[in-house]
Amino acid sequence: MSRRLLLSLVVVAALLLPAVSTLAQNDEFVFGLVFVGPRNDHGWSEAHYTAGRYVEEHIPGARMVFFESLNAADAPETTLEQVVDEMVGEGAQIIFTTSDDFEEDTAAVAEKYPDIIFVSVSGDDVLAGTAPENLSNIMGIMEYGKQIAGCAAALATETGGIGYLGPLINAETRRLAASVYLGARYCYEHYRGLDPDDLTFTVTWIGFWFNIPTVTLDPTEESRRFIDNGADVVISGIDTTEALVVAGQRAAAGEAVWGIPYDYKNACGEAEDICLGVPYFNWGPAYVDMIQAVRNGEYTQVWDWNGPYWDDINDVDRSAVGWVNGNGLTEEHAAQLDEFIAMLAETAPEQITKDNIDEPGQQIGLWVGPLNLQNGTVLAADGEIVPPSAVWYLEQLLEGMTGSSTAE
Amino acid sequence: MSVEVRNIHKHFGPVHANNDISLRFEDGRIYGILGENGAGKSTLMKILSGFYRIDSGQILVNDRVAHYDTPRGAIQAGIGMLAQDPLDVGAFTVLENFVYGQPGGILPDWEAARRRFSEIEKHLGFELNPELSVEYLSIGQRQELEIIRLLALGVHVLILDEPTTGISAEQKQVLFSSLKRLAHQDGLTILFVSHKLEDVLDLCDEVAVLRLGCLVGTAQMPVTTNDLVAMMFGQELAPASRDDIPFGDIAVEVTDLHMISERVTLRGLGLKVRAGEVIGLAGLEGSGQQLLTRACVGLIKPLGGRIVVAGKELTGRHYRDFLAANVCFGAAGRLEEGLVAGLTLTEHFILADPEQTAWIDRDRGTRLAADRIAHYHIHGQPESSIEMLSGGNQQRVLMALMPPAPVLMVLEHPTRGLDVESARWIWEQILARRRDGTAIIFVSTDLDEIVTYSDRILVFYAGQVTEVPDARRTTVDELGHLIGGHSVLSGEAV
Amino acid sequence: MHREETGAQQLLKLGIGLAAVVFSLLLTALVILLAEASPIDVFEKIVEGIGFSGQGADILRISGVINFWIPLLLVCTGLLVTFTAGLWNIGVEGQMMMGAIFASYVAQFVFLPPVPQVALEIAAAALGGALWALLAGVLKTRGGVHEIFGGVALNNLASIFSIYLISGPWSNEGGQASPPFRSEALLLPYNNEFKVSLVALALMVVAFIVIFAVLRGTRWGLELKAVGKSQRSALLLGVPTERDALQALAVCGILAGLAGSTRVLFTYGNLRPLVSGGIGFLGLLVVLLTGTRALWVPLISLLFAAVLAGSTRLKIALQLDQSLVGVVQGILVLMIILANGVRGRFFAARQAAADGASAAGKESAHE
Ligand SMILES: Nc1ncnc2c1ncn2[C@@H]1O[C@H](COP(=O)(O)OP(=O)(O)OP(=O)(O)O)[C@@H](O)[C@H]1O
Ligand SMILES: [Mg+2]
Repeated sequence: MSRRLLLSLVVVAALLLPAVSTLAQNDEFVFGLVFVGPRNDHGWSEAHYTAGRYVEEHIPGARMVFFESLNAADAPETTLEQVVDEMVGEGAQIIFTTSDDFEEDTAAVAEKYPDIIFVSVSGDDVLAGTAPENLSNIMGIMEYGKQIAGCAAALATETGGIGYLGPLINAETRRLAASVYLGARYCYEHYRGLDPDDLTFTVTWIGFWFNIPTVTLDPTEESRRFIDNGADVVISGIDTTEALVVAGQRAAAGEAVWGIPYDYKNACGEAEDICLGVPYFNWGPAYVDMIQAVRNGEYTQVWDWNGPYWDDINDVDRSAVGWVNGNGLTEEHAAQLDEFIAMLAETAPEQITKDNIDEPGQQIGLWVGPLNLQNGTVLAADGEIVPPSAVWYLEQLLEGMTGSSTAE
Repeated sequence: MSVEVRNIHKHFGPVHANNDISLRFEDGRIYGILGENGAGKSTLMKILSGFYRIDSGQILVNDRVAHYDTPRGAIQAGIGMLAQDPLDVGAFTVLENFVYGQPGGILPDWEAARRRFSEIEKHLGFELNPELSVEYLSIGQRQELEIIRLLALGVHVLILDEPTTGISAEQKQVLFSSLKRLAHQDGLTILFVSHKLEDVLDLCDEVAVLRLGCLVGTAQMPVTTNDLVAMMFGQELAPASRDDIPFGDIAVEVTDLHMISERVTLRGLGLKVRAGEVIGLAGLEGSGQQLLTRACVGLIKPLGGRIVVAGKELTGRHYRDFLAANVCFGAAGRLEEGLVAGLTLTEHFILADPEQTAWIDRDRGTRLAADRIAHYHIHGQPESSIEMLSGGNQQRVLMALMPPAPVLMVLEHPTRGLDVESARWIWEQILARRRDGTAIIFVSTDLDEIVTYSDRILVFYAGQVTEVPDARRTTVDELGHLIGGHSVLSGEAV
Repeated sequence: MHREETGAQQLLKLGIGLAAVVFSLLLTALVILLAEASPIDVFEKIVEGIGFSGQGADILRISGVINFWIPLLLVCTGLLVTFTAGLWNIGVEGQMMMGAIFASYVAQFVFLPPVPQVALEIAAAALGGALWALLAGVLKTRGGVHEIFGGVALNNLASIFSIYLISGPWSNEGGQASPPFRSEALLLPYNNEFKVSLVALALMVVAFIVIFAVLRGTRWGLELKAVGKSQRSALLLGVPTERDALQALAVCGILAGLAGSTRVLFTYGNLRPLVSGGIGFLGLLVVLLTGTRALWVPLISLLFAAVLAGSTRLKIALQLDQSLVGVVQGILVLMIILANGVRGRFFAARQAAADGASAAGKESAHE
C-alpha cells in the first residue's frame, strides 16, 4: 500500500466530513425504527423501512434512525435498551419497535424514558392495560389481506392442496393462518363450486419469523416438502420470501405451482410469473399520523388496528393493508378476486381501536359463524359474528386446518 | 563444484553449535561428517543448505562468496539437502511431487517432466513408479525421490543427514552405489552425515570430525574404525560389557499371542523372560517385532493370548496398568511417542515424577532435571524445549525418565541415531538395570547391537518368529541370513 | 525458539506488527469509502460507542462493553483449557445454552431469598454446561465421535431444546421467550450509571485468574499441555489422557455455563432462543487468535467486545449497511492474524522447516 493511496484516502475522507455534518439541521425531527431482520428482507422489515422513508418524504425535517437485525443471533452484543439509549442520544423523540419480539423490552424502556413515545408494532400492551402512557400499539388488519390471499390460492389450486409456512405459534400467527383458510374455503366453494371440505390446508410452523440455520426449520426445505406432498400453492406467513422462491424454481422446472409472499408490496419480484399476489402492510400513513401527533404535542395513547382503505386498498396514503395481484393470477380470477374484495368491504369497519373494539357488530370479513376451533369447541354459532377481540386473541386454529395450534 | 566454509560461527542461545569451522569440499568426492551427538553436524549442514543463517563467517561456492539464507537460495547456488519429510503432501503421486518441486509455470509440461524424471531415475539405478502416491513409499524410496528432485533442480552439492537410519540393507546398497556414481562419474560433491562408521568407511573418500561445535580433524581414506573413534572421542571405546548374571524369576510371560497388523500376522507366539534376561528382537522393520513390544506394554490389545507380568495377569489391560505394574517402554519415534515437543526438560521430569503433588513444586522439578541432566550427561538446560536437543540427547532424556528398577523394560531401537559413545553409554544404563533384576526386551535393526547384548535372540520374518539356537555364539552373518528368511534353523516356537 | 534474536530483528518485528495494523486500518478505510461513508466518522463513532468521546467517558456505554465482555471472556477462559488439551470444543455454544437453560429453570421454579437464589442459579448453570460438555467428551472417548462433530450436534440439540421449552412448557403468552424472571432471581446492575453486575464481573475475573493459575501451576495443567501437544507422547509418559480430556471439557463446560447464565440472568432477564448468540464461536476465534496465550485473551476479547458494542452506536449514527460492521470485524481479525502470524511466520519459517527436517530425519517409520 503506497503513500499516495494513503494520501488520497485522507483527502477523500476530509472532503466527506463536512458533507456529513451539514445533514444535521435545526428543524429536524428524529424518529427511530428498530427492525428484527435486515431492512432489505423483501418482507416484514423492509415494509417498515419503506414506511420510514415515506415519513421522511412526507414530513419535512423528519429524519429516520434505524437499527436492523436486532436479534440474539445477529446482534448478541446489543439489547433493545442499548439501541434505544443510542437513538435517544441521536435525538429520537419517537421510536417504533417493529416486532412482537420486542414487546416486553419495549414496555421496559418506555418506563425508563417517559418523555419519549414508543410504538410497539403488533403489540397489545395498551389493550391489555399494562402499557405506560408513552407506549402505543399499532397493527394492520392483515386478516383482510390474508383472506384475499386465501381466496387467490383457492382460485388457482388444481390439486386442492395449499401449504402455509407459519413462523412461530401465537395468537397473531394463528389468526392470520386462519384468515387465509377462511378466504380459501369461501372462494373454493363460491367461485369454483367445489366442496371446501376437500381442501387440504396445511400449516407448518418453522419456529421463528425468519430462517435461523440450525434453530428454525429451513423454510426452503419446508416449502419443497409442501409441493412434494401435493400442494400447488405455497403461502408465506413468515418475514422472508422462501416460499415464493421455491415455487418459482419448481415452476421453472415445469410444475404447475404458485406462491404468495407476505408483508412487502414488491415481494412478488422474486418469482413474478407464478406469484398470485401479495398481501402487504403499508405502515407509512400510520407512522405519519403518529409522528405528526407527537410533533404537534397532540400525542395520546392509542391501540390502533388499521384496515384497508376500501375505495382503493392500494392507496399509499390511506390504506394500512393492501393486496396487489401477481402475474400468476388469470384475468378471470382477478375479476373474481375483485368481487371478493368488494364483498369484504361491505361489512368492514375501517379502524378498530381500543375504544371501539368491544362494540358489537364489527365484522372482519369472513369471521362469521358457524366456526369451530380445531379442538371442536364452537367459536361462533351460525350467523354469529366473531368479535374482533376474539379474532385478535384466537386461541386455536380452525377446524379443518392441518397443523398445530399450540407448541406441544 | 567446490564449496568452502570459512570461520563459521553459529549460536543457539548459550550453545555454540558451530565454532569457527573452516572446511573445503572439492567436487567428485564424498565427505563423511562425523561427530558425537550434539557436535554440530546438522547445524553445519543446515547452514550450507540455507535453513540457518550464520552468525559470522563465509560460505564460498566455487571460490566466490555466496550470500543466501534460504533453502531456495542454496539450491539456486547449487547446494541441496535431502529433506526427509516435506514431501508429505497428502495423496500426490511421485511424479506430481517431482513436478511441484520444480520451478515453472502454472501449467507444467507433464510429458517433459516424466521424461526428465525417468532419465535421472535410470541414471541413478532407482526404481520408482511415478504414478504411485507418495504415502505408499518407504523411507528409502522417499529419499530416492528427493534425490531425483534435487538433481533435477541442478544441484551439484548433495547433503545427506543420517540417511541410512530406517532403510533396509538392500536400499542402502542401492543408495551407496548411486552416490558413488554421482560423485566419481558425474563429479558431484557429496556430504554424508552418519553415526555408522562402517557406512562411512564403505562410502566416503574423506572425513571431517566435529566435536562440541569445533572441527577436530580431517582424514583421507583409508582409515580404521578405531582411528575414527579416537578422533571423535579422544579415546578408543570398548563396547559396554555384558556380564553373565544369574537370571531370576519369570518377569513376563506371553502365551499363545495372536495379533494382526496391516502387514503381518503373529500366530501363537509364546515367550518367557526372566528377571535380568535380555531378549533381542531382530528382523527387517515391520516384520512383527513392534506388535510384540506393544502388546507387552498394553498399547495394542492382542486378539488372543495372555500376558502375565510378575505373576499378574494384564491381558487386555490399559497401558497405564502396565506402568503401574512397573513396566516401562521406550518407543521408536522419540518425538512422537515418549517426548512431548514443546515441553521443557523440567516439565518432562515433573510429569514423570510420582512425588509431585497437584500443585507443582517447580523448584523440585528444576532440581530434579538438573540432577538428571548431570547424571545422564545430557547436553541441554532444564528449561530447554525437548525438540531443541540433538537426537542423542533426546534418547538420554528418554532413558532418564524411566523408573530406576522396573520389572520389565521394553525398548524399540534404543540407540538409533546415537553416536558410538552415546550408544555405549545407553547400554551401560540398560545393563545396570539388568543387574538389578530388570527383564529387557529390545528391538533393533543393528545386528551388532543384537549380537552384542542379547541373552536370547528372536528373529522375525514376516510374522514368523524363530529363536536363534545359541544366541551367545551367533554371528552377524548368521543373523543376517535368518533375517532375510533364508533358512529357518529350528522351527520350534519359543 | 528465537533465542538468537538481535536488536535489529526485534525492531523489524515491531515494524511488521505496526505495518499490519496500518495496513488493516487502510483496508478498513477503503471498504468504508467504497460503502460511501467516511472512515474517520466510522472510527470516531466506534470509539464513541465504546464510551469515549470529546466530552469524556460515558459510563453507560462502557458498561455495554463490559457486559458483552463478561460472557465472552468466560467462554474464552474455558476454551483456554480445552485448547491447551488440544480439544476443539465447538460445543461451547451449546454448553452456554445449557447453562442458560439450567439457570432459567432455577430462576422460574425455585424460590429462595435473593442471595442463595442467584447462587443456586449460577451453580445450576455450571452444572448444565459441564454435563453438556461431558456428553461431548464421552461421545469422543467412548464413542469415537470427534469433539467437533459431537459438539455441532450437541449445539443443535441444545438450541432445539431451548426453543421447545420457550414455545412449550415455559412459553409466555404470545412471545417467543420465557416469562421474565422476577427480580430477586436476576443478577442486578451495580447502579443506573454503571450497569454491570458486579457478581458477574467478579465471576469473570476470578475464573480467569483461577484458570490461569491452574494451567500454569498445577500438575493437571501441565498434563493438559502435554496432551495438547502430543496425546500419544503424553500417554506414554503416563498421563491419564482420557480422564484429563474429560475434565478439561467439563471445566470448559462450567465456564460456558456461567457465561450462559449471565445472558439470561442479566442481559435478557428471561430465556430466549439463541441466548448464546454465537458468543461461544466468537470465543473460539479469540482464543485461536491469541494462539492460546492466556495473558492475551482478556485483552483481545475486550477488543472484540469493544468493537462489537461500539458498533451499535456506529450502526445507528451512520446507518451503514450492517454487513459493513461485519467487514470491520473481519478486518480486525485480519489485523490480529497479520500482526501475530506474519511476524511469527516470517522468523519461524526457516527454523520450523529446519527443525521439521531434522526431527524427521531422526525418526523412522512405524509398523
Ligand atoms: N534450533 C535449535 N535451537 C536451539 N538449539 C539447537 C537447535 N538446533 C541445534 N541446537 C543445539 O546445537 C547443538 C548442535 O546440534 P546439532 O543438531 O547440530 O547436532 P548433531 O551433531 O547433528 O547431533 P546428532 O548426532 O544428535 O544429530 C546441540 O547442543 C543442540 O542442542
Ligand atoms: Mg544431527
